[in-house]
Amino acid sequence: MSEFVIKSMKDLPSVHLLGAGTAMCAGCGGLQALHEVYDLLGHKTVVVNAAGCMTLLANYPYTPFRGSWLYTSMASAPAGAQGVRDALDILLEKKRLPPEENLTAVVLTGDGSAYGMGLSATSAAIERGLDFIYLCYDNEGYGNTGQQTSAATPHGARTATHAGVAGFGGEKKDLFAIWAAHRPAYVATVIGAEPLDLARKIQHAVSVKGPRLILSLAPCPTGWDYDPMDTVEIGRLAVKTGIWPLKEYRDGKVSHTRVPHPRLPVEDYLVKQGRFAHLFQPVRNDKLIAEIQARVDEYWRDVG
Amino acid sequence: MFRIRFHGRGGQGMKTAGNILGSAFFGEGFEVQDAPRYGAERRGAPLFSYVRASRTPIQERGVIDNPDLVVVADESLMMLPAAGVMQGVTADTVILINTRDAQGWQARARFPGVVLAVPAIAASPPGGTPPLQSAVCAGAAARLVGVIRRETLAQAVRLELDARGRLMLDQDLRWTLAAYDAMSAHAGCVRERVAERNGVTAAPDWIDVPQDSVRRAAPDIHATASSEQSLTGTWRSFRPVIDPGHCNRCSWICGTLCPDSAIRVDADRTPHIDYDHCKGCLVCVAVCPPHAIRAVAEGKAAACEKIAQ
Ligand SMILES: Cc1ncc(C[n+]2csc(CCOP(=O)(O)OP(=O)(O)O)c2C)c(N)n1
Ligand code: SF4
Ligand code: SF4
Ligand code: SF4
Ligand SMILES: [Mg+2]
Repeated sequence: MSEFVIKSMKDLPSVHLLGAGTAMCAGCGGLQALHEVYDLLGHKTVVVNAAGCMTLLANYPYTPFRGSWLYTSMASAPAGAQGVRDALDILLEKKRLPPEENLTAVVLTGDGSAYGMGLSATSAAIERGLDFIYLCYDNEGYGNTGQQTSAATPHGARTATHAGVAGFGGEKKDLFAIWAAHRPAYVATVIGAEPLDLARKIQHAVSVKGPRLILSLAPCPTGWDYDPMDTVEIGRLAVKTGIWPLKEYRDGKVSHTRVPHPRLPVEDYLVKQGRFAHLFQPVRNDKLIAEIQARVDEYWRDVG
Repeated sequence: MFRIRFHGRGGQGMKTAGNILGSAFFGEGFEVQDAPRYGAERRGAPLFSYVRASRTPIQERGVIDNPDLVVVADESLMMLPAAGVMQGVTADTVILINTRDAQGWQARARFPGVVLAVPAIAASPPGGTPPLQSAVCAGAAARLVGVIRRETLAQAVRLELDARGRLMLDQDLRWTLAAYDAMSAHAGCVRERVAERNGVTAAPDWIDVPQDSVRRAAPDIHATASSEQSLTGTWRSFRPVIDPGHCNRCSWICGTLCPDSAIRVDADRTPHIDYDHCKGCLVCVAVCPPHAIRAVAEGKAAACEKIAQ
């Protein structure tokens, strides 16, 4: 990536490096974020991809990538990235790889790995100060296997495993805070629907070394049950209602890159998605809607 | 035996339609197989599901290539050879298409047999949620085979759509039964045929599969962006069309937000859609600030193109 600073939409890349023709669903919010990220990172990367929807990207003999890609089990993508990084470092040290051919290890996983199965390997990799970027597309469930509940499923959502009137009764895990507690080089939340904010964060991420997390909410027409056309609107509403705060952790401090003002009622976001339909039909569940709103209000009150 | 194939796109509910019809047959005492068939592709890609129902144990296996009834949930699939809608049909096959122009399709496909339209079931209340395709297609198909009672069908819907909750279920039931009732004039037009037995088909010849060396057998891809050889443009049922007169060549909004890297912006900032790969999600239509992108039904767009040529 060049040195210039992305200031407006006009500065975003107009050439797409991620190839078309992938097997992802029409309107996939995760793919949207990935192409925006990959268009900036480019081919000098090794993408280490844990099982999930995105494993279908590189579907033999096809790949959308212009650089390398490696498949790992759900729990071990950061360990795979460690192996790749170590191999590159040895080659560099032995001068078998010229410095200009160095590559960046990029872990790419869904929330199932990032928040759950892969968390132990991730924590250990951050602890070791592994120089890598972790890109998580968070579609808030095990999408590839039919949207079962994951550790990232939000309170009240219907999933394949929580189909009752109340939806999922548990809480979405705060992965941003878990990462930040490790004091890594960089942590940021992004969303494909806000490409400028995303691009600036990627620009910063590539300028530093060490463990870096890019956590993207990934609206998922298939798992969230909405018309693919609404992917961007739902993404924007996630930001405007404050349910998906855009923020970053750097130099020991958390700051918000977008403070929604005025903050829209979270209901505007929920009502667009079939996975929350039971909050509105057959009768409105005011109590549960208020509970979800209260969580968002509490978050922003604490932010100050 | 009855052999039925449902064609649709991922997300249109043809797997569920097969499940409903399969359960209804089962409720009438038939032996049943029902299964969907799709590849690694997701929502939007063509897929089909199939149902076999027989009064004796079923010894046929695999996908159906001699259907008695073909149900097509999305008429754009008719023009897509890869979708295989017409695979194995004969003059005795009944084709049920979700279209307003069954006769037109009969003529275009030069098909000598019966072509019927999936009944148009109105949303209730008017303007409410459009009827569930799986419910309507299963209801219509159940009537055409002529051996499924209304009550048995209702029971199958309750069984298969239970997870949708009571309110949805009531609605789904209404739609299914409305479609069932609407096809009464054609009840029993799909013929039951003799089931094939074991021993009738010849055993395949022995095939030797030699073990390849790892260099050859390991799935190593050395090409870059080879995914572009997959033409996901076939997934579309609607096509986004840019009106150059209205496009203000803004700053790459459609090009950046298209999830599929299917919009290229040229040097003077004019956007171009790559129809070989555009999946028709219509995100670009939704985000274009001056509303310069329209959605055109794929069937119509293809017809317009032919005329233009
Ligand atoms: C250890 C293990 N358990 C289960 C699976 C089956 N599996 C494959 S993909 C997947 C879902 C992954 O969810 P997520 O990481 O959120 O990615 P998404 O599918 O949503 O893209 C599961 C459970 C697996 N591959 N490995
Ligand atoms: S299931 Fe969701 S995340 Fe997975 S490919 Fe489809 S839209 Fe994308
Ligand atoms: S409909 Fe528009 S946004 Fe969707 S794939 Fe096609 S060009 Fe891209
Ligand atoms: S978003 Fe609309 S106005 Fe902007 S380049 Fe695309 S078509 Fe033109
Ligand atoms: Mg997921």
